Amino acid sequence: MQKIFNLACGSFYALGAYAGVSAVGWYVGAGGPPALFIVPLVLAGLAVGVVGLVVERGLLSFVYDRDETFQLLMTFAVVLVMEDAIRMTWGTSPRSTGGLYLAYGQIRVLGATAPVYNLIVILASLVIALAIGWLLTRTAFGRIIRATADNRDMAEALGVDMRRVYAKVFTLGTMLGTLGGALVIPATAAMSEMGIELIVEAFAVVVIGGLGSMRGAFVGALAVGILRAIAISVYPELEMLLIYLIVIAVLVVRPRGLFGAAEA
Amino acid sequence: MTSTPRSRRQFLKLLGAGAGAAAAARLDGPPVSAQATGPVKIGVLTIRAGVAAPVGAAGLRGTEWWAERTNKAGGILGRQVQLVVEEESNPKDTVERYRKLILHDQVEAVLGGISTGVTLALGPVAEDLGTPWLSWDGTTQKGVEETMPNPKWAFKSVDNEVEAIVAGILTPKYFKGIKTVAGIGNDYSYGHDCWESYQAVLKRYIPDVKFVLELFPKLGVTDFTSHIAAIQQSKADLLMCSFWSGDATIIMKQAAAVGLFKTMKGVFTTAGGVHDSLKKEFTPEGLLLGYNTMYFDDPKASPLLKQFVREYKAKYNEYPPYECDHAFFNAESYKVAVEKAAGSSKKWPEKTQVVKALEGLEIESLSGKRSWREDHVQMCNFYQGITTHRNAYDFVTINPIETVSTKQAMKPAGTKLFDWIAGWKV
Repeated sequence: MQKIFNLACGSFYALGAYAGVSAVGWYVGAGGPPALFIVPLVLAGLAVGVVGLVVERGLLSFVYDRDETFQLLMTFAVVLVMEDAIRMTWGTSPRSTGGLYLAYGQIRVLGATAPVYNLIVILASLVIALAIGWLLTRTAFGRIIRATADNRDMAEALGVDMRRVYAKVFTLGTMLGTLGGALVIPATAAMSEMGIELIVEAFAVVVIGGLGSMRGAFVGALAVGILRAIAISVYPELEMLLIYLIVIAVLVVRPRGLFGAAEA
Repeated sequence: MTSTPRSRRQFLKLLGAGAGAAAAARLDGPPVSAQATGPVKIGVLTIRAGVAAPVGAAGLRGTEWWAERTNKAGGILGRQVQLVVEEESNPKDTVERYRKLILHDQVEAVLGGISTGVTLALGPVAEDLGTPWLSWDGTTQKGVEETMPNPKWAFKSVDNEVEAIVAGILTPKYFKGIKTVAGIGNDYSYGHDCWESYQAVLKRYIPDVKFVLELFPKLGVTDFTSHIAAIQQSKADLLMCSFWSGDATIIMKQAAAVGLFKTMKGVFTTAGGVHDSLKKEFTPEGLLLGYNTMYFDDPKASPLLKQFVREYKAKYNEYPPYECDHAFFNAESYKVAVEKAAGSSKKWPEKTQVVKALEGLEIESLSGKRSWREDHVQMCNFYQGITTHRNAYDFVTINPIETVSTKQAMKPAGTKLFDWIAGWKV
């Protein structure tokens, strides 16, 4: 909506992951029951999302009218600053939540064993996707967001306070990123450069799905995830190549992606 | 005697490093003899960012502990040690910082170097600049073959693939009846070289073994669920994994989530690098786990190692990994070589005398005796063993502990790795 290609989204994801590790560490240290560790995890993920407000108001709000290259460099600077800030705060060693990942046990699904926590995260992702869909299509705020995305000048002329809308939308987006980082961390470990890894994959997702499309992001993410899994099982050498061959094909044949707007 | 950049050649090198102004100041500096009585400057190169940053931190901590201890005991020939720390990053920038350490900071020696991608480039520069360089963990190997067989100034770490060779030797001892093996390692030289070496060794012990799957995800990946699914699908008897960073912790956790090691044996050649993150909740007993060249919990540990582990834990709230001892050995062997070269005169020796004294030198390091082979490669012991939960920690340790010397598991000077393995009498 803000027409900014935000490279720092991966950094927000990493920040959420580290905040999640710290919150869970504190919670376990204070004697909290392991089964409820997801509560401090989610709260921490949401709480550090307010950093989005600081970045939007403190940095991005000054560059909305600048050249796109400048905006890209600005968000890249945020990536580097946040990576160093994370390293200074949490150190260089990978951080993890220990064995809490298996606190909910495992179940058999279609002949395979899967940790219940993975199913909780999949369910949470679906709930979040539906909630965002509801927000965008069924609420007044959602209509304002869509109107602003379509035609910012017209929306402003109709009395929409652009400053507030941008700040709210960016903070909401950041919170989704930090929450995502927090939710994924029990299954993995936090490393300072994990944000950059995510940006590369997110790039493939949005190109395939279509820039600016929620449905596109959803389908793109599923496509990338499933194709990678198939490639690893069938012909591991193709793991990364396959994704980028598809990205190239989409860019050549259908530059707006599967669900992107026609003019994109 | 400290060397100053007085020759035209050295001066041009200095300008090339972009340190002309500093050079001018140095040319008017104190005479050489006066410098030999001040603190002795020792350069340190360490990784501070990225996946190898914890390894760099451990090496630096080991060096700092050595410097503190040495200074308390009166320094080297009465000179206090002063560390000049620079960052190891990509080869080009690290070479520039290396030049700066020698030509601007005028260090007596440089310690450090972890990534072979970097140290391969540092080797010729070290030879050119004529100052001892002792590498913590980096070699001058291209793949598994040596590129600098007869260096004068460069002292290198053990060959990269030794821990995979040790694991290959120990696999048939602990896992009987293995017929199929899957492998996973990082997609760069170390991962591929370890896998090739492990296969070559295992084939010597189990000629009909089949290698059914090989996966090489890139360094820094944090999700291995698809890889683990492929490993399960391969139905291999054993998984060999050469991950050494946070990815070792992650794959262990994600493997536990699907019960991978309930049906498969596991060999983790290098995961001891992140040993205290391998929590008991998700790291099973019965895996073969490698700690590289120092095992913090060795019941036969020397008083020196016990003191180091105690003080390291008190200061950093962690248990030290092997890189600490690579670093300690480099620094301590340099000190001993200087003292040996000085002899009874107690005069600070020339750098050429120091490198001569280092060749073949054996000293007491944290993990026990370590030495420099005549061709400047570290000789030491490798520690691997079977994971156990029977300890006082919240992470796994090993019991029994296998100690394998580089005399057995590292190719001798001047030989080709695979020819050497093919010639073993098994």
